[in-house]
Amino acid sequence: MDDAVITDAALAARDGDRAAAARFVELTQQQVWRLLAHLADRGAAADLAQETYERAFGSLRRYRAESPARTWLLAIARHVAADHLRRRARRPVAPALLDDADEPLGAARPGDVAEGIALRLAVDALPTDRREAFVLTQLLGLGYAEAAQVVGCPIGTIRSRVARARADLVEGLGSTTTAGEAAVREP
Amino acid sequence: MSRDRIRGLPRPVGNPQTVEDDLPGMGPSDCAACREELSAELDGEGDPARRPAVRAHLRTCPACTAWREQAAVVTRLTRTAPAEAGPDLVARVLPSAPRGSRRRVGARVALAVVGVVQIVVGIAALVGLVGHGDGSAMLGGADMAHMGHETAAWNLALGTAFVAGAWWTRHLAGLLPVLGVFIVVLAVLSGLDLAAGRVEPDRVATHAVLLVGFVLSLAVARSAPRRGPGPAPRAVAGPRLGEDAGPDSARTPLASRDDLGPVARARPPRRDVA
Repeated sequence: MDDAVITDAALAARDGDRAAAARFVELTQQQVWRLLAHLADRGAAADLAQETYERAFGSLRRYRAESPARTWLLAIARHVAADHLRRRARRPVAPALLDDADEPLGAARPGDVAEGIALRLAVDALPTDRREAFVLTQLLGLGYAEAAQVVGCPIGTIRSRVARARADLVEGLGSTTTAGEAAVREP
Repeated sequence: MSRDRIRGLPRPVGNPQTVEDDLPGMGPSDCAACREELSAELDGEGDPARRPAVRAHLRTCPACTAWREQAAVVTRLTRTAPAEAGPDLVARVLPSAPRGSRRRVGARVALAVVGVVQIVVGIAALVGLVGHGDGSAMLGGADMAHMGHETAAWNLALGTAFVAGAWWTRHLAGLLPVLGVFIVVLAVLSGLDLAAGRVEPDRVATHAVLLVGFVLSLAVARSAPRRGPGPAPRAVAGPRLGEDAGPDSARTPLASRDDLGPVARARPPRRDVA
């Protein structure tokens, strides 16, 4: 993957290379945003992603490439999401309004929208641990080993959480998947 | 739903409870273990050792066979869902990116300049001194002219050390104790000499160049990327994963596989699950 490129960019950014810092953000921001959108909340994801990068840049001097920079960054994003949820739990606020800037840049094909929304809702309804494992491995495309590194748990834990998330989704999306399956079987 | 034990199907390591809970209505633990393996296979992370047992279970368990198809559909839906895109954050976050380099480069250039000044001071002293000894006022076996030569040699050496340190910054740390002792001793003695009227203030002022060089050396040496442990995230401190160590795998020893439980296969390229 681009893990090597991302890590190189992080190391160059650490030594003060601004162009490398920009490249590091460009290469990782979609994954960071998606993780935060699913772990925290969609409306705040952009702000939380910004907070993630600020924290990452703040501690970049101590980054020694022991784990790939992307894994390291996603672990920080995970902490940012947890802190956000803790803050929100302490003082409840009105639900955030959807910002235009937070809307997807690419247009979805109309047929996918219903399925996409149903799936998104089902994923966001998963218990935190399973949602985390599922989002990391399925929506961000991380391997089990990488996801385990981000979460800081054994690979076997990721394995079982992903399986349980799948089981929940199979149940939750029962009708949709049948429709989906029918659609797939059409030539 | 089959109650046959799957022979040889190991339970998931570290999760003995996995198989019982959270799969309401799924029946005996065999099914949960089977589904966990099926799920891993969908991600290309299946364990070939468990494969035969899973196949055997599937032949006797229609529920798991059905589940496999449904799970494959969910997986395909997930992967083909339109990717949600977030806003571009580069401009927003770039101001907080490290800018250590510019300051460090500045300090290095300044250090080189200080080194050159120090060398010039040394050479000037040398040129002014050569041939001016008159043989009077011996001190410790040397006359004043020779003491001046020694001083000039020191000034030249320190100036050269500053210039070299500005270029090869890794050697600066080794230079700091020498410089530190020299400056502290010189400062104390200069103070005493000034008080006793044994030296002109102008002469003492030239030592300020040394002090500036020392401070700059300190700044450059300290701004070097540190070799401490990585930052907070637990993942960094967590078990070292041999796989996917990425570009640093050559630099760091791979963790022993023994304490990792099942190690996932390398992830094959994405393929459609449908």
